[in-house]
Amino acid sequence: MAVISQIQGVGLGLKRELIPQIQASYGQKELANINFLEIAPENWINVGGKSARQLEWIAERYPIVCHGLCLSLGGLSPLNVGFLQQVKTFLHQYQIPVYTEHLSYSTDGFKGEQGYLYDLLPIPFTEEAVHYVAKRIRQTQDILGQRIGVENASSYVASPVSDMKELDFINAVLEEADCLLHLDINNIYVNSVNFGFDPHAFLSGIPGERIIYSHMAGHYQQAPDLLVDTHGENVIDPVWALLEDAYQRFGTFPTLLERDNNIPPLNVLVHELNKIADYQHKARHSSAAYQPTAHVTAAAMATEL
Amino acid sequence: MSADLPSFQRYQLAFTARLRDPHHQPPIAGVPRERMAVYEEIVFNNLFESVSACFPVAQKVLGKRKWLKLTQAFLREYSASTPLFRKIPEQFLHYLETNQQEQALPPYLYSLCHYEWVELFAASVPEDIHHGNADASGDLAKQQPVFTASMQLLDYEYPVHKISQRHKPQQKESTQLLVYRNADDQVKFIELNAVTHSLLTLLLEQAITGEQALTLIAKELQHPQPESIIQFGLGILEDLRQQGVIIGTR
Repeated sequence: MAVISQIQGVGLGLKRELIPQIQASYGQKELANINFLEIAPENWINVGGKSARQLEWIAERYPIVCHGLCLSLGGLSPLNVGFLQQVKTFLHQYQIPVYTEHLSYSTDGFKGEQGYLYDLLPIPFTEEAVHYVAKRIRQTQDILGQRIGVENASSYVASPVSDMKELDFINAVLEEADCLLHLDINNIYVNSVNFGFDPHAFLSGIPGERIIYSHMAGHYQQAPDLLVDTHGENVIDPVWALLEDAYQRFGTFPTLLERDNNIPPLNVLVHELNKIADYQHKARHSSAAYQPTAHVTAAAMATEL
Repeated sequence: MSADLPSFQRYQLAFTARLRDPHHQPPIAGVPRERMAVYEEIVFNNLFESVSACFPVAQKVLGKRKWLKLTQAFLREYSASTPLFRKIPEQFLHYLETNQQEQALPPYLYSLCHYEWVELFAASVPEDIHHGNADASGDLAKQQPVFTASMQLLDYEYPVHKISQRHKPQQKESTQLLVYRNADDQVKFIELNAVTHSLLTLLLEQAITGEQALTLIAKELQHPQPESIIQFGLGILEDLRQQGVIIGTR
């Protein structure tokens, strides 16, 4: 049974094609720096057959975190309470202590419909949007009986109706919802290029004590001023530098590699996992990031709310 | 209808309207076209890939141009109701069933797509937790056969399992199949004759024993020797148990 304090060190986003390789190399030194795995509930809820057997195998051996894609915290459609109940059951079933989502939306449903577009769309940064999103995060936390983390999203379009900066939007939402931050280091970098700001200055404004864990990933450079968050390339040096900066500022926190496209063999992928571990090792400061009490389970967290 | 919404939500509606239909919806004021195009491509391509992966035969039979138009129309016109990615093909199927299409589509397309989708469905449907109670070596004649939860009886107007780019059906041909996932997690199809299809339908719909179901079948066929039908039918049920379609009795 995984508890939140077991989410430590280095993690890997679990893709189906990686499972046979993990099974084949399990217990070997090569995989020493895979400390936890991340799955999207949208891919695994209510599966049977081979997928169910694979998930059971994984859950027996690794702490798991859930990182959702389609909750649509910023969407017009009503919060999908039925789906959240399924998520809750799923988290309990596999003893998954952490659930995070994106500060984005993926639906355009109107008048009770959902209207899933299955993608992460940018919420305009406005005061009204802060209240709207924070309320839905609180509703989510009430239903699940635990705090969730929300991820700073990558985006390609600056909304002309925004009346605040992304950093102010994120901080206002975190404050008002009193939730945790799932810090995506690559997304800070992607947005800094797409919208022309200093990523290190952005990082300095992040509330480090709310970080539950972070993401590292590669992206695709479509134009000198346009990066697309594909998770299909290696992590580039400026993003490594941002991670190092973040560890310096806030102390180390659990960090997970996302690789969703153009996936190399596991024995190549582990080089980037080992690199994360090296950075963590090097960071001397003790962690100021979110420190859960040891042995707090998802269920026990409910009583803390 | 959106006038009373806050400005960020009115913007979101214009934004998603454009994503759903970039060819007809106006560009959004103040948003660079090439940036918006990133979202237009990502949203469509993801949906296109999810749908296309499930329907390789339908895609080939229809041809690239028509398939593209159909998936564009799906994005434009359908309000998907589930966040589960593996259910996107099921939503597409529902769209095909319920929406009038602008372009002429082959009459067998829906059946073909259903046949392609049901393979995915059988591969991933959860096991029924109550099935653990079935007696694996129970008497198929005197007890009720229990089917694996993945088993689906299929009844098509076209020979869907024979359709390919080179073999497009010109006329209807009633086709009965069953699909199931075996103990090794492989999805299998079995072609059925009309009588076996009726027998399995009876057993699925009514809480009756193998012998009772076969007696009803013999009566319906007005067979002079019902006993031979029962013996023959029990042989079929035993065979289905060997293959893992029937997991036992209760």
